[in-house]
Amino acid sequence: MSAPSSAQPETDREIVVSRIIEGPRNLVFDAFTDVAHLNEWWGPKGGITTRSFEFRPGGVWDATIESPGGGGYPNYVVWKEIVKPERIVWLYGNAKDDPNAVETTLTLTDRGASTEATLRLVFGSKEQREQAAKYNAAAGAKQSLDRLAAAVTAH
Amino acid sequence: MAIYPLTQMARAATTSDAFNAVAEPQRRRILMLLKGRERPVNELARALRITQPRTSKHLRVLREVGLVRVREAGQQRLYTLDARGLQPVHEWVVGFEQFWNDNLDRLNDYVKKLQEDQSNVSTK
Repeated sequence: MSAPSSAQPETDREIVVSRIIEGPRNLVFDAFTDVAHLNEWWGPKGGITTRSFEFRPGGVWDATIESPGGGGYPNYVVWKEIVKPERIVWLYGNAKDDPNAVETTLTLTDRGASTEATLRLVFGSKEQREQAAKYNAAAGAKQSLDRLAAAVTAH
Repeated sequence: MAIYPLTQMARAATTSDAFNAVAEPQRRRILMLLKGRERPVNELARALRITQPRTSKHLRVLREVGLVRVREAGQQRLYTLDARGLQPVHEWVVGFEQFWNDNLDRLNDYVKKLQEDQSNVSTK
C-alpha cells in the first residue's frame, strides 16, 4: 500500500499531496511522458480524448477527460520544466492561457524499489491563492475542532 | 463525487461567502488565533495590533459566514471557531486533494502493472 509522507506546504498558498509509488523512479517518470501511459491512470475511468500531446518544455497536452456518466472535462496541460527522472513542472487548466491554471510541481525521490512522489500545487489566480491560504489556515483550525468534537462525543 | 477540481473550484469561488470572508489576511490571523482556544476581543486586538472596533468588525464578518461563534461569559464575550463555516472551503480543497490522491493511486497500480509485465517478458 502507498503511504502518505510528511511533506508540508512551504507557504500558505500551496497544497501538497505526497505518496509512495511502488516502483522505480524511471518507471514513474515514464508514466508522465506519453499519452499511452497517461491514458492508463490520469483521471477517473471513462477514457481520455487527446487532441494534441507534446512532452517537452513549452509543449501542450490538450485533452478531454471523459466522464463515466457522460460529458467531459477539459484538460489543458502545459509542460513547463522537465528534468528526467526527478522533476516535472506543469500548468494545469481548462484551456489555453487559463488564468486559473494551477502550477503543479512533481518531485520524484528515489527510494530504491519505490519512489516518493510529491505534488506541490501553487494556485494561479489571486482568488485561488486566497482560497488555498484560507484552507491551510483553516486546516489547522479544523484539526483542533475535530479533536474538540471527538472529546465532546466521548463524554 | 468530486472528480474534477477546476470545475468545482470555479463554483466554490463564486458561491461561497466564507471564501470572501477569509480573503482578508487579518481575518485569517484571527482564525489562527482562535484555533487553540476561545478569546475575547481585546486579546485578539492586542495580538493583531489593531483597534478593538476594527477587530470587532472582522469578527462580525467571520460570524456572519459561520466561521466564528460568540458566547457571553460574565462581562466578556468570548469568540471561538465554528466548523460549519469551514465546510465549503474544506470541500473545495478536498476536490484537489482527492483528484491527486486518486490519480496517484491509479499511477501506483499502473507502475506495479508495468513491472509485472516487464518481469513476465524477461522470464520468457
